[in-house]
Amino acid sequence: MPGYNRAELSAELKIVPSSRAEKAPREQVEAGTEAAGATGLAHDAGPGTTVLSGGRAEVLKALMKVVEASLDAGARGVEVKVEAEEDAGRFGGAGGRRGTS
Amino acid sequence: MTTPTTPTRLGPGPATFSPGGIGESQRRPDGVPKVTGEFEYSSDMWLDGMLWGATLRSPHPRANIWSMDTSEAEDLPGVYAVLTHKDVPGRKVYGMEIPDQPVLAWESVRYQGEPVALVAADHPETARRALEKIHVEYEVLEPLADAEVAMEEGTLKLHPSGNLLRHVPIRYGDPEAAQAEVVVTGEYEIGMQDQAFLGPESGLAVPDGEGGVDLYISTQWLHVDQDQLTESLGLSPEMVRLTLSGVGGAFGGREDLSMQIHACMLALHTSRPVKIVYDREESFFGHVHRHPCKMYYEHGATRDGKLVYVKARTILDGGAYASSSTAVCSNAARFAVGPYEVPNARIDAYVVYTNNPPCGAMRGFGAVQTCFAHESQMDKLAAALGMDPVELRQKNAMSEGSELPTGQKVEGPTPVAELLQRIKDMPLPEDAGDGPRDLRELPGGVSNTTHGEGVRRGVGYAVGFKNVGFAEGFDDYATARVRLSMSDDGPLVEVHTAAAEVGQGVVTIQAQIARTELGVERISVLPADTRVGSAGSTSASRQTYMTGGAVKLACEAVRERLFERVREELGHPSDGFSIEGENVVSNGQMVVPLAELLGGEDIEETVVHRHVETFSLDENGQGDADVTYAFSAHRAVVDVDTELGLVRVVELATAQDVGKALNPQAVEGQIEGGTAQGLGLAILEEIQVRGGKVLNASFTDYLLPTILDMPPVKMDVLELADPGAPYGLRGVGEPPNISTPPAVVAALRAATGKELPRMPVRPEQIVGIAVEPPRRRPQQGSAGYAEIGRLDERSET
Repeated sequence: MPGYNRAELSAELKIVPSSRAEKAPREQVEAGTEAAGATGLAHDAGPGTTVLSGGRAEVLKALMKVVEASLDAGARGVEVKVEAEEDAGRFGGAGGRRGTS
Repeated sequence: MTTPTTPTRLGPGPATFSPGGIGESQRRPDGVPKVTGEFEYSSDMWLDGMLWGATLRSPHPRANIWSMDTSEAEDLPGVYAVLTHKDVPGRKVYGMEIPDQPVLAWESVRYQGEPVALVAADHPETARRALEKIHVEYEVLEPLADAEVAMEEGTLKLHPSGNLLRHVPIRYGDPEAAQAEVVVTGEYEIGMQDQAFLGPESGLAVPDGEGGVDLYISTQWLHVDQDQLTESLGLSPEMVRLTLSGVGGAFGGREDLSMQIHACMLALHTSRPVKIVYDREESFFGHVHRHPCKMYYEHGATRDGKLVYVKARTILDGGAYASSSTAVCSNAARFAVGPYEVPNARIDAYVVYTNNPPCGAMRGFGAVQTCFAHESQMDKLAAALGMDPVELRQKNAMSEGSELPTGQKVEGPTPVAELLQRIKDMPLPEDAGDGPRDLRELPGGVSNTTHGEGVRRGVGYAVGFKNVGFAEGFDDYATARVRLSMSDDGPLVEVHTAAAEVGQGVVTIQAQIARTELGVERISVLPADTRVGSAGSTSASRQTYMTGGAVKLACEAVRERLFERVREELGHPSDGFSIEGENVVSNGQMVVPLAELLGGEDIEETVVHRHVETFSLDENGQGDADVTYAFSAHRAVVDVDTELGLVRVVELATAQDVGKALNPQAVEGQIEGGTAQGLGLAILEEIQVRGGKVLNASFTDYLLPTILDMPPVKMDVLELADPGAPYGLRGVGEPPNISTPPAVVAALRAATGKELPRMPVRPEQIVGIAVEPPRRRPQQGSAGYAEIGRLDERSET
C-alpha cells in the first residue's frame, strides 16, 4: 500500500459469481462488497475489486466475513491476494501514520 | 528563446556558490533567474521528440460511466496513445495515506474533474482535440455535496466503508461538570481556499528503454511520489527514478500525485518522452484544496476571565478522496482550543467524504480552520466579560510546562503572552479621521467609491500555534549525504538530499549549514532526487528542521573523519581542530592544508536525522503526539466602507518566535508570504463550489491578493531557542498563515459591529445583505450579466 499510513496487511478481493446460484451474479458481488464495506476497512480498488487494509488481525477477521458473505450469496469463489507490508508503520525504511503537515 | 534539449535544471541557481554562515541573510540563488525569466520551471522542460500528454476529466461531480469509446481519438493523426483504466499496469488506485483514488476512473466518478482517460500526441493542440473525440456515456447522479448531510445515518455511501473518514475525539478533564459563570457559543465556517501556486502541475517522463522511467517533476516529496508510482506502474523502486525540477510554489498542493502516474504510463506505453502541463483551469481540478470547515464552539469562563472549559465540534469536508484528510482532522482536534490553558475540553473533529473537490494539505492545515473559531470565541468572550481581548488572551496564554488537551506538556519557550504584548505595543498607524484622504488609501481605491464617508477603522488581534514536523507516531526522518573533496578550484563540499525546494529556500539553508559546519567556502547543493534517501515532505514547517538537521549531522560526521585523519596521519594530538578556508587549524595555527590531507581520498558521509519520538492519540485523544510547536500573533488594522462592504487592510503587524533565524531574509519572506496568504483567506480567496461544481477555476474569478491589497508588515522576530532542535530553530512557514485570518476578521468586526462568522468575509456580509443572492435571471443591461450570465450560472451554459 502506498503512502504514509502503511497498513500492516492488505487483502485485495475479487468476487467470482456463479451463474447457477439462486441470486443473480450482481447480487452475489453486492453481498460481498457490502460485507467488505461493513468492516470499515474497505476501498474500491478496480473493477469488481475491493481492498481491505489495516492491522493483521482485523484484516484477516474482515476477510473471513467477506468470503462467508460472498459464498452465502452463492458466489463461486473469491480471489484473494494478501500482502504483508514489510515496512508496516514505516515508509521507505521509515514511516507510519502521518499526523500532521 | 532557446529550448534545452535535455531536462536540465537551471533551478535553484549556480551549481557551486559561496554562501554565508547560518544567521546571515543570504540572497537566494534562484531569485535573479526567476525575475529574469531564466529559471527553468518543470513546465519549461523539453526533449526533442517528446510527446504531449493530456487528461480527459469528468464534467460531473457524481456519475456512473456506462461506456467509453476511444476509437475516434486513436484514429486522429498525431495521436500516439489513448489510455484508460484498463491500461494501468499495477494498482488502479493511489493515495498518500489511503489508496482510494483511481488512477483513471473505471465505472463511476466522484468529483468534477476526475481523470477518465489519457492521450499522448505530437502537439498539445492535437492532444486537446483528441480528448474531444473520446466519447464517454455518463449516467449523471445527484451529488452529495454537504459534509453534514454526508455524516447522517442512512445517507448514500460514496465509498464502501461509508463517508466518515476519521473522527478524532479529545476528552480532557470533566467539561460536563465544569461550572462557568460566563458562556459564549458560536458557529463558524471557512470556505475552500486554493494553494494558488503560480507554476501549474507539470512534469516530463522519460522511458529508459529497459522498462523503467525517469520522471522530472515538481513535487513536495519525491519519495512518496516514487512509492505510489511503483505501485501503480507495477515496477520496482529502482526502475522509477525521480528528479526534482523547477517548482513554482506548492503550499501543500503538490503533496498528492497529479500527473505523475499519467505521464509515466504514457511514456512507457509509447516509448517516447511525454510531458504534461496543466493550464490554470485544469490546475484547479488537478490538486487538492484547503478543507472547508464548519465549527461549533462553546467557551465557559469565570467572571475574571479564566477559561473553565471549551467544547468544540468541527466538520471538515474532505471531498471525494482521502488525500491527507485524516491528518488534517487530527490537527483540527489537537489545536482546537488554541494556545491557551484550558482545564476541561471536549473536542470532536470529523472529516467526511463528499462529491466536492478532494481536499488535503495546505499551509497550516487543521490549525488554520480552528484558529479562526477559537480566536473568534476569545473576542466574543472578551466582549461578554467587558475585558480587553488581548488581556483575556494573555490571562489564559499557555506557557512552558502548560498542558494541551491531549495531555502533552509544552516544552521549551512558549512566548504566547509575550508575542501578544509585542504586537500590542507596536505603534498603530495614523488614522486620518475625517480629514482629507488620498483615494489610494481608501477602500475602493481610485474607483472613487468614497472620499472617507462611511469608512470605519477597526483593529483586531489573534494568536495561533501549530506543531512542527510530522506527528502521532510517524517515524519522521530526513537523509543527507555530504562529501568533502578537492577540486581544481580548491576544497569543495557537495550536499545531496531529496529535500524539495519549492521556493522556501532550503537550498540556501543547506549550503549555509555546510559552510558553517565545515568552514569551506565552496558549496555545491546537488539536485534533489531519489538516488539519495528520503528527506520527507516539504511541509509541516519541517524541512529546515529535518533536512537542515540531517545536513548538520552529516557535516559533523565528515568533519570528525577529517580530524581523525589529522590525528592518525599526522599524529597531531589536538582536540581543538577547525577548518578555515583551505586549511585545518588548531588554536589559530595552520596544521595542514586540506589539499594535502584529502589528496584523492574524498570523505563522504550519509546520515539520517530523526526528531524525537511521537505517539498516537488514544481513544480519548490523549498522547504526546507532537514534536514541538511554533507560535505567532497578528494585529490587523482595516478600513471598511460600511456602505459598500469594501475593505482595505491598512497594516498587519506580527510577532513570531522562530527559535533561530538561519537566513533572516528568508524568514522575513516566509512570514510576509504567510501573512499575505492569510489575508487572502480572510477577505478574498474561495473556490466557489455549487452542487459539487467549481464555478471559478481561473485567476480572473478566484481572487488573490495582489501587491495593491497587501499592506506593509511590521514584524518582530523572536529567537528563543528550542532546546531540542538543530540550532534551536522552529518552523516558520505555517504560523503566519494561521494567525493572520482571524486577526483580519476581528478587525472587520471591530469596524462594522457585525458578527462575521464566515470567512472569507464578502462585501455582502459587511453590508448585511444575504450571502446567497436571490437566484433571478439577469436583466438586460445589468452590468453585462445579460451577455455572460452571472458567475453562479455560467457553469450551466
